Amino acid sequence: MSSVVYLGIFIYALIGGPIFAVMSLFALSAFYFADIQMSAVAVEIYRTAGAPTLLTIPLFTFAGYMMAESKSPQRLLRLANAALGWLPGGVAIVSLVICAFFTAFTGASGVTIIALGGLLYPMLINENYSEEFTLGLITTSGSLGLLFPPSLPIILYGIIAKVDIDKLFVAGIIPGLLLIIILSAYSIFSGRKTKNLVRQPFSFSELKAAMKFARYEIPLPFIVLGGIYGGFITATEASALTALYVVIVVCFLYKDLSLKEDVPKVIKESMTLVGAILLILCCALGLTNYLVDEEIPMQILSSMKEFITNKYVFLLFLNIFLLIVGAMMDIFSAIIVVVPLILPVAQEFGVDPIHLAIIFLTNLEIGYITPPVGINLFISSFRFKKPVLSLYKASVPYLILMLIALVIITYIPWLTLVWF
Amino acid sequence: MIKKLDNLLDKVSFYSIVICVAGMLLLTVLNIILRWFNTTMLWIDPLVRHLVFLSAFFGGVLATGRDNHIRIDLISKVLEKFQKEKLILWIDRIVHIVAMIATFLLTKAGLDFAKMELEFGKVAFLGIHSGALTAIIPVGMGLIFLRYLLRFLLTFSKVELDE
Repeated sequence: MSSVVYLGIFIYALIGGPIFAVMSLFALSAFYFADIQMSAVAVEIYRTAGAPTLLTIPLFTFAGYMMAESKSPQRLLRLANAALGWLPGGVAIVSLVICAFFTAFTGASGVTIIALGGLLYPMLINENYSEEFTLGLITTSGSLGLLFPPSLPIILYGIIAKVDIDKLFVAGIIPGLLLIIILSAYSIFSGRKTKNLVRQPFSFSELKAAMKFARYEIPLPFIVLGGIYGGFITATEASALTALYVVIVVCFLYKDLSLKEDVPKVIKESMTLVGAILLILCCALGLTNYLVDEEIPMQILSSMKEFITNKYVFLLFLNIFLLIVGAMMDIFSAIIVVVPLILPVAQEFGVDPIHLAIIFLTNLEIGYITPPVGINLFISSFRFKKPVLSLYKASVPYLILMLIALVIITYIPWLTLVWF
Repeated sequence: MIKKLDNLLDKVSFYSIVICVAGMLLLTVLNIILRWFNTTMLWIDPLVRHLVFLSAFFGGVLATGRDNHIRIDLISKVLEKFQKEKLILWIDRIVHIVAMIATFLLTKAGLDFAKMELEFGKVAFLGIHSGALTAIIPVGMGLIFLRYLLRFLLTFSKVELDE
């Protein structure tokens, strides 16, 4: 009987049932078959209200959406262009840096491609980059800043795995930079190969003007990182200060958006995403706690120990598994469902929980551009009105480069753990 | 009538979520400012956490209305390619029905929990009883259930669904 019910729920997930409903049904059924009162699921849901860092999710997302809706993308693009545009492949590097910045603030929710794609695409094409290179670059960049603070997946991982978010924020910086450096090197290489590539000269006066133009955006990373690591504020307080700062800057200093007209709309947009994520978080807690109580991770561990003998083989296996997960599931559901199951297993194999977090998130970042269902491929296809198949082809070189970076991040833990 | 109810539910959730976000933002900033003066108000932190919890459900109602819930929509994408609109519509209705079952059961589970908490719980902060706080679950899930029901009924009418 229970297998039929579980199979039914699984089919429901495949035909497009909302993940929160799928998780709830799994949890409710599991509790029912174990003769536990269903109100226990509600008890688990209510535990979410006790997570102190939960506030960072809505406030950082709101701040990111506010910036995306304002003219910040144009201002930051001008600044990055003035600072880096003179390099060979400079505009491509500008695209990588600017997308990483925005993804860190908008939580890799597709907003980056939607908000910046329209600006970056004509810029790259005008500089004579091929369409394939351009599409691949923007599609990949859409999730590039995922390892940088204050990215939503990092926060969610910290809440689920009970790992210090402050530590995770700093742990992702070098691996995140590594990804940007590798992709920048490829952009320089491609820039050199591209015929008639337009290169702009460096202008100090333009850099100065661009800095003045984006003067209120420049302090943002320092408010978040400086505030937290200077010991002045917690991550939760940083999210509130960032949100307030962005509202003041966007509504009163730049006057890009109106407090009465636009801000409520942005709240609606951002909270629709936040609500969808938090609901999954609430509903999956019951299920994952049940699985942990039933010692499912330990059963996975004992069966794995039969063919996996050391940490390095485990990490290889983990990467393959997570790449499949990343290509099939969205990042938020994957974190909520998979992390509680693999965390105890990884610890048994001696993998540091912070290193595991960065490996996990890098895999899922790659999942965004992995065919056939990587979400960025569909967002780009929709945004640029190109067939998904052409996006598959365009993303291949980037996929290979990201996999190389993944191997480096996985097998050189120092990159992640150097701070501790 | 159904569409009017759906719009009303959307508006209520929209205004509520704006209040929740403004509340959590201003209260957290107030907490930081108070700390500079070595003062703390112990009720701010739990109130903010419950505002976030509440906004999860209002956000859920909005996501339901815009069909924006996170899901694996592989099959619908394939069917769209083959232009099987009728099949997509029926799958959509099944998705709605099962989601209604899930949210109804969660409302019931939440109600049982809230009743228990009302009986055995205690005042949490600002004189608010823990039973009232746990009632966020049945109320929130109930609203999502209602939105699914309205959206399900709307799939039978030819009225264009607005955002």
